[in-house]
Amino acid sequence: MIFGALLVIARVTESGLDDPDPARQRPGFIDAGGLPQPAPPLTGAALPPGRRAVVFFVRPEGVAGLCEASSDADLSSRADLVVVVSGAGNCGSASTVNDPTGRLAAAYGLRQPKAGGPPVGYAIVDSRGRIRYRTLDPAVADELGEVATILRAVP
Amino acid sequence: MIPGPITRASSSLRICLWCAAAAILELALYLSYRGHDARFHWFTHLFVGTSVALLAMALVAVRTGRPVPYPLVWPVAAHLVAMTPDLLFAAGHAHQRWMELFLGHISAHFVPGRNLTWYAVFLLSLAAYLLAVDRGRAHRGAADP
Repeated sequence: MIFGALLVIARVTESGLDDPDPARQRPGFIDAGGLPQPAPPLTGAALPPGRRAVVFFVRPEGVAGLCEASSDADLSSRADLVVVVSGAGNCGSASTVNDPTGRLAAAYGLRQPKAGGPPVGYAIVDSRGRIRYRTLDPAVADELGEVATILRAVP
Repeated sequence: MIPGPITRASSSLRICLWCAAAAILELALYLSYRGHDARFHWFTHLFVGTSVALLAMALVAVRTGRPVPYPLVWPVAAHLVAMTPDLLFAAGHAHQRWMELFLGHISAHFVPGRNLTWYAVFLLSLAAYLLAVDRGRAHRGAADP
C-alpha cells in the first residue's frame, strides 16, 4: 500500500517538462531508441568533424543558468557546445542557435514534454557526426556531471 | 530455555532495529536519485529487486518450512544489486549492455505498463512468500499435535 501510494505521488508530481514516458528520460546509456543517426546540420553553428558535441535544447528563460553552469563545468574542453534556444537568447562563448519553430529539436528527435511546448534537454553527437544520446532533462543545468559521464562513453 | 519478558523485548527491539535500518537505507537510496524522473528508476529497481528476493525467500521458506531469517535484509540487498549500475553511473560510468546482469537493469525500464507492471509483480511475489510461510506454519502445526 505504501509503495503504491508513493508510486502515485511520484507520478502526480512530475514536471510538465518531463517526458510523458519516464523510461525514455535520462536512460543513461548510448544508442537507445533508433540511435545512432546522422546529426542534422545546425544553422549558424557547424559541428566540426572529428570532435564531439553536446547540443543543448533550452527555453529562453533557461539560457543564462545553463550557460553559467556549463562554463563552470569545463565541458567545452571535451566537446563543442551548442545551445539551441526555442526563442531569442545568447550564450556567451558557446554557439547559440535560435529555433523558435522547434524545427531543430524535432530534427534531433527530442520528444515532446508532458505539458507540450519546446523540449528542454540535450543530444550528444560523436566525432563522426552521429547522434548517440538524446533525452529530455528539465534540470540539465544542475546535472552537467551526468552529461560529462555520457560524453565519456561516446567516441 | 523459555524466553522471559526481557528476552522477548530484546528480540522485538532487534527486529525493529532491522526494520529501521532497512527503512533508513531505502529512504537514503530514494533521496540519492535526484529529480522525479530519476525516482522512476528507483521504483523500477526496488520492485525488481524485492520481487526477486521475495521469490527466493518463498523457495527457502518452502524448503525449510519456516520464515527466512532477517526478512527485510533480503529485499534491500536485492535492491542494491539491481541498482548497482546506477551507483557506477554516479561514479562516472555510463550504462553498458552487460549491466543487464544486474537483474535486467536496462531492459527492466521498458516493460509494457512500466512501474505499474513491476508493482503488480512485487505484490504477487509478496503473496507467494506469505503463502509459503503460512503453509510452513500449517505443516509444522500438523506435525506437532
